[in-house]
Amino acid sequence: MSGMDAILQGGLQGYLVVALLLFAIGLATVLLRRTLLMQFMGVELMLNAANVALLAFARFRGGDTQAMVFYLFIIAVAACEAAVGLALVIGLYRHRDTTDSDRAASLKQ
Amino acid sequence: MFITFALITLLGALAMLLQKNVIVAGLCMVATFFGVAGLFVLLGNPVAAALQIIVYTGAIMVLVLFVIMMLNSHEEEKAESPRPIQRWVSLALVAALAVGSVKLVLASPGVKALNLQGAALPQATTLQKVGAALFADHLLGFEVAGLLLLAAMIGAVALTKRNL
Repeated sequence: MSGMDAILQGGLQGYLVVALLLFAIGLATVLLRRTLLMQFMGVELMLNAANVALLAFARFRGGDTQAMVFYLFIIAVAACEAAVGLALVIGLYRHRDTTDSDRAASLKQ
Repeated sequence: MFITFALITLLGALAMLLQKNVIVAGLCMVATFFGVAGLFVLLGNPVAAALQIIVYTGAIMVLVLFVIMMLNSHEEEKAESPRPIQRWVSLALVAALAVGSVKLVLASPGVKALNLQGAALPQATTLQKVGAALFADHLLGFEVAGLLLLAAMIGAVALTKRNL
């Protein structure tokens, strides 16, 4: 029962399980939903899952500051991705009048 | 405490996946981000928790909600083709991935050892330590990140503007 205890009390395993389930839900969102904005939110969810795992490992290695530096870089890249990704969604909507990823299957008009 | 924040995080994410209305899904996403920030506080990392709320809920989700309202795409459009096989196969693959990876983590002796030895270590991450590590060892990376943000900003303006 020590494994179950570690999950419920907030041991390393608990954080990793939360991160894995968060990643799975994000992946399911990207695969199952067709709206590009929903898929974008799924990508953000997967990035967040990676952050949870990273900072959990950092805590159980004694508050490693290296992980915080990486976390800062990850959120900087996530912000860039958000700006460019949403600009692409708006561009697609201008040209095709849709935000459905199935309707954007070809590059040509 | 841990189980509360873990449940907020996972239920928010699940509600986002199942929600039909895109705006409500975005608000569920905000709940998830607050849950993740709570997990960061429990990890002894208040800096990360504050950044999580400021950057993700304050900047990224507000941007996403703005775009949803601007494009007026509150509901998912009707599917061109239902594609039932692909949907079920992808759902099965995601479920297999989740169950397999959770089993792997729970069975791993390395994770168990790290859990036992890490619980005794001092953990608080302060802004002072983070700043020293960032500006002493990773100054070049910091500058490159700034340049990347500038490039993304210019790229976003160029993509959305009709005629430059």
